[in-house]
Amino acid sequence: MNVGQTIINGLALGALYALVAVGLALVFGVLRLINFAQGELITAGAYTLSLTTNWPVIAQILLCFVVCIGLSVAIERIAFRPLRGAAPATTLVATFAVAFALEAVWLIAFGANGRPAGPLSTLNTIAIRGSLNLRWITIVEIAAGLVLLGGTALILNRTSIGLQMRAAATDFRTARLLGVRTNLVISFAFVIAGVMAAVVALLYTVQTPLVTQTFGLDITIIALVGAVVGGLDRLWTATAGGFAIGFATSVLGDVLPASQEKFLTAFVFLLVILLLLLRPGGLFTGFGRTTVERV
Amino acid sequence: MSRLRSVQTLLASIGLLLVVALIGSGTTAATQQNFITALISAIIVYGLYVFVGNSGVISFGQISFVAIGAFSAGLFTIPAQPKHFVLVGLWSFIADHTVSNFASYLIAAGLGALFALIVGLPLMRLSGIAAGIATFAVLEITYNLFLQWTKIGPGPTTLSLVPISVGVWEALLGAVAAAIVAFLYQSSRRGRLLRASREDPAASQAIGVNVTRERWLAFTLSGGLCGLGGALLVHQLGSITVDQVYLELTFLTLAMLVIGGSGSLWGATVGALGISLLDSWLSAAENTVHVVFFSVSLPNGASDLILGVIMAAMLLFRPQGVTGGAEFSLGFVNRLRSRRSRAGVEPSRTGVEGEPKPTLEQDMQPTQGVESRAER
Amino acid sequence: MPEPALEVEALEVRYGAVPALRGATLSIEKGEIVGLVGPNGAGKSTLLHAIMGALPIAAGSVRFEGRPLAGIPTERIVRQGLALVPEGRHIFPDLTVDENLRLGLVGRGSTDGIAEDLERVRTLFPVVHEFRGRQAGLLSGGQQQQLAIARALVSKPRLLLLDEPSLGLAPSVVETVWNTLGEIRSTGVTILLVEQRAQITVGFADRTYVLGDGRVKMELGPQDADDTERMVEAYFGS
Repeated sequence: MNVGQTIINGLALGALYALVAVGLALVFGVLRLINFAQGELITAGAYTLSLTTNWPVIAQILLCFVVCIGLSVAIERIAFRPLRGAAPATTLVATFAVAFALEAVWLIAFGANGRPAGPLSTLNTIAIRGSLNLRWITIVEIAAGLVLLGGTALILNRTSIGLQMRAAATDFRTARLLGVRTNLVISFAFVIAGVMAAVVALLYTVQTPLVTQTFGLDITIIALVGAVVGGLDRLWTATAGGFAIGFATSVLGDVLPASQEKFLTAFVFLLVILLLLLRPGGLFTGFGRTTVERV
Repeated sequence: MSRLRSVQTLLASIGLLLVVALIGSGTTAATQQNFITALISAIIVYGLYVFVGNSGVISFGQISFVAIGAFSAGLFTIPAQPKHFVLVGLWSFIADHTVSNFASYLIAAGLGALFALIVGLPLMRLSGIAAGIATFAVLEITYNLFLQWTKIGPGPTTLSLVPISVGVWEALLGAVAAAIVAFLYQSSRRGRLLRASREDPAASQAIGVNVTRERWLAFTLSGGLCGLGGALLVHQLGSITVDQVYLELTFLTLAMLVIGGSGSLWGATVGALGISLLDSWLSAAENTVHVVFFSVSLPNGASDLILGVIMAAMLLFRPQGVTGGAEFSLGFVNRLRSRRSRAGVEPSRTGVEGEPKPTLEQDMQPTQGVESRAER
Repeated sequence: MPEPALEVEALEVRYGAVPALRGATLSIEKGEIVGLVGPNGAGKSTLLHAIMGALPIAAGSVRFEGRPLAGIPTERIVRQGLALVPEGRHIFPDLTVDENLRLGLVGRGSTDGIAEDLERVRTLFPVVHEFRGRQAGLLSGGQQQQLAIARALVSKPRLLLLDEPSLGLAPSVVETVWNTLGEIRSTGVTILLVEQRAQITVGFADRTYVLGDGRVKMELGPQDADDTERMVEAYFGS
């Protein structure tokens, strides 16, 4: 077992989960809504890729973005607007229902057998040989994570809409009183979530080229769990949590002896419970806070 | 609350269960299974309700106790010879013992309660999202263990050869028993204390309610009821696979409770029976059914879609569920009691001035304050 | 005669079934500083929030410069020229002072004159410039209050609503804040000032309304500030 390999693979998977977590955290920040249906955006993007396998790759990628962003904004408009003001636990169950309904839609539309997709499958080749077998996809995943998270940070900190988003996430009511265009801000959060979903769909199909109706659900559940453990009510703690659970899952998968490997899920979730018990408000919270945590 | 008024809801629930059983007993053997499923669903939803309904804390993990109940009841009632032959890696304690069907119900409920007791000990201090995720973790862990650990079960294969001993009347008996247990708990002092903590955690703590401990009790009781439900399930089907007691059942039972109305026993009853029968009918419709004059043939998976949409719609527009979280009560009986009951605190009535009952841990903003939830 | 800046007529606002305002009526002329006092729970904050469109109006009307405000979303009301400094300041603690200020710019009706307004605000409230890079949550109560007012001012309001700006502030700081209000008025901004401390408000404002039980009970002038009997009647009379 190669330590370097394990760490790099961990970073790549962590980056992927971090991207999902960012989408979840942004939406939670402005709406206090836990978007279980985020995973369906990823699935939608993946199915789009599977339907357009004959297209040029650029076109495939573009359409994937259009579908993910469009669906994201549509779901917000149709399903989530009435949920504003409900308690997070209620929204969790409601978005769970939306996700469930969408999965049935995929089943009806595409059947239970998977569809192949993978426009970027060429990335699944070795880039660097030697002591580390580095695949292109691993590099791309880490790079994508850095670029997109960095871009999100830039938007949030350097643009007016980003400032409004941060304000709305802190104190929605006061932001509204100041004249912040709340619907615009919320839609923007969903746009970013859609972008993240598209990227994840593109990257995930490289190593999992078969699209089924639960394609995005599994990764979203894990990312959500990670985000909650990290601390859902702050963007960067949630993202760090998503990254951490991805990293931990990958590393544990490499580290566990073969006989125990089938219990990987159990180990990860046991860790989750432990962390939630130790710090229910979030693992990474407490760094740089000036005000009291809201549970 | 007046005894007479509150017992109404138990009687009404039992009544509805009885009606379902009677209708079921008069149908074909195949259709009858749907009614049995509805009654067993009620047991599981009662189990869910005892905890989620009374504490207001959402739990995604109760189905793990159903799983424990189903597998334990199944494993202990499979005849010894095939058991040794098929399930080779089984822990000898399980492999060597066989019990009667009736005993298996007790074991299932007992084990369900025991595991809930153990799991609940650390988890009950959590609330809100943390509780939801932690209980979800319990579900995942249980699933993983049953899927992979051949010492305690058949692993990924189906556990079969379980004696089928649950017909309509056995299911009814189980459901009525569960309803009575749920009712007794919610009317008890400790049940009311827990409901008080649902309405206002801070205030109830201030008067000395140990919220964590009350939740623990409800959670344990819930585990027992869910375990019983699992046992009945496995004795209805004659087999069980781990996927049958995982995410889909979790979602379904949660939907039943929420759509029915998570705040009341009547809501749990209505939700469980209604949604279960609807689900059965929709699944049958995927193979063509006849509705009045025309035949309906839904595409595969449409039943899930419709249920998901209904559940989402319910939570969007009527988060307090069909019954509004109110218990069943007949108007004229209430008027007889109105003078006495108006003065007291009624845990299962609707809130101030007909406002919707609080559901699933909503922020309890004072109605007088400027903070209006509807504004967001 | 020019239209009053603000006209509230028989305004009713409810929280569910509980009435908070039962028919409040008042009017404010352009350039005035009008006070609004009353016991706790009288509905003062409710009135301000209803004017800003943050609470639904059950009955009655609100008119700003002759145009009705009822049913218009808050974001449009702000851009029409109203601003609210909410009770408790509600600055964004994790954002810097400058970022808090810039947030106020979001509600401007037009984009010209930003630099001048920012400059003016920095002169009025030096703390806003001095601590511009600091996290707003680290400021003192009085400084946060000044930031909150500054933030409201940069949205270029013609009517400024303040909800208990003196709450939790030392008397000397309160005086500074109120003097600033006088300067703000002199730039042509109309002010509606909600306060708990009745006597001081009555003495300071051009006119003061007394709100009680969701209705406007009476109107006082600065000359009534020392009239104890009248003040008691205002607060406790029916």
